[in-house]
Amino acid sequence: MHTFETLLLGFLGIVIVNNLVFTKFLGICPYLGVSGRIDMAFGMGCAVTFVVTLAGTLTWLIDHLVLMPYGLDVLRYVCFILVIAGAVQLVEMYVRKFFPVLYDSFGIFLPLITTNCAILGMCLFINLWGIDNLPEAVVLSIGAGLGFTLAICMMAGIRENLELADVPPVLRGAPITLITAGLLTLAFMGFAGMIR
Amino acid sequence: MIAATGMQVIGLSALLLAGLGVVFAAVLLAASIKLKVATDPKVEQIHAVLPKVDCGACGFAGCASYAKAVAADASLIGRCSPGGAATSAKIAAVLNLQISEGSAPKRPIVHCRAVREDKTFYAAYRGIEGCTSANAQPNVQACAFGCLGFGDCVQRCRFDALHIVNGLAVVDYDKCTGCGACVAGCPRGLIEMVPFTHEPMLTVACSSRENGKTTRSMCAVGCIGCGLCARQSDLFAVKDNLARMDYARYQPSEATETARQKCPTKVIVFRGKGAPADEKVSKTPAAAGAAS
Ligand code: SF4
Ligand code: SF4
Repeated sequence: MHTFETLLLGFLGIVIVNNLVFTKFLGICPYLGVSGRIDMAFGMGCAVTFVVTLAGTLTWLIDHLVLMPYGLDVLRYVCFILVIAGAVQLVEMYVRKFFPVLYDSFGIFLPLITTNCAILGMCLFINLWGIDNLPEAVVLSIGAGLGFTLAICMMAGIRENLELADVPPVLRGAPITLITAGLLTLAFMGFAGMIR
Repeated sequence: MIAATGMQVIGLSALLLAGLGVVFAAVLLAASIKLKVATDPKVEQIHAVLPKVDCGACGFAGCASYAKAVAADASLIGRCSPGGAATSAKIAAVLNLQISEGSAPKRPIVHCRAVREDKTFYAAYRGIEGCTSANAQPNVQACAFGCLGFGDCVQRCRFDALHIVNGLAVVDYDKCTGCGACVAGCPRGLIEMVPFTHEPMLTVACSSRENGKTTRSMCAVGCIGCGLCARQSDLFAVKDNLARMDYARYQPSEATETARQKCPTKVIVFRGKGAPADEKVSKTPAAAGAAS
């Protein structure tokens, strides 16, 4: 029961309270880059969720089974990036095979998940927060991915409506998007400190 | 924790990275076989004949996207400027099409030929090193149409084909692929992509629209709009005190040669592969003498 509670709280925490996009400002480039349309944003969110789950889990395993016991902490970044890059390749092949349209519309942003700081950030946070059991690491990773999906889909929804809105010419495009992002962040700041 | 030091750590690290690499490679290999996408062999063939410099001059994200687009829509043939007519012909061959003789490859021409000694400066520019910022100031150099020589265009060129030689941008036509990236770099619009119907190509290397007297007072080698060239050959036309040539119709002839020689400021020069070496960068005493 205790663990279940921790897991649930951790999950909610990472999705809402400590959302990587809103509170840590990680993964901003795809967040602003592919949030033009909801379907694309959702696809991106799924891709990132998959990668971050795989990466978070694998890196936790590598970290705890190999790196720490043998005192190879220096290799942490290298190994993490290796894992992430591998996972991204997997996703790329998968999306290319099964969602060719999505694949085309992603363009460069799909391989760029490799350098999505939210993912590396999550892998490092797991270590930083001293998560020492696998279930928690897995749940947190999934949560991080879902949090990202939530953020990017909200953004896409707003931006789809913004298309129809009467925005002053100076603010059209990037400026209004950035302002929106700022307001969204402010809104999520309301949760700050509720969990952890 | 097992105490590992020095060589041991290095050895372990190497081992671990190699191991991880092998494992991931194996997984990815398996995945790539399982998830193989059957691509149109035509696209691959087209991609194979493209220059693969991914410069984007064709308007697509890179050679791969262009190959895909052109396979679907043959009317897009001929967008690849680095490849030029030869590549278009190869693409057409892949697609089983006949194409009419392609137009000449476009190459950049810098419409200025004044090196540092030829120009007049009122004061030394000490601002940010860059043509765009220098151009924002009035009177950086007397001629508002001349090459600033800070090399904003040089930065755009991914093929090391542009260099600043003694304060003037000079194209190395052996390296130039004709991608056209440099054009956007020049805040004064001195670089123009011109169809090279001949190699080398006769060009008017000046952009000054000041009247002859003013141009002469500022630059030793500027076009003074005297119209001598236009009187020799109808390829030349003088407008706004500046001679221009119709590059598409250029045909070397006696008339153009006379025009080149008669030009009082020697602003009509050859550019391109095989251009006379002393013409590449102006140092001719004749030009300097003309200004006196
Ligand atoms: S213009 Fe040619 S070389 Fe440049 S990206 Fe397009 S296909 Fe590739
Ligand atoms: S000089 Fe460089 S940038 Fe300009 S067209 Fe040639 S290759 Fe392209």
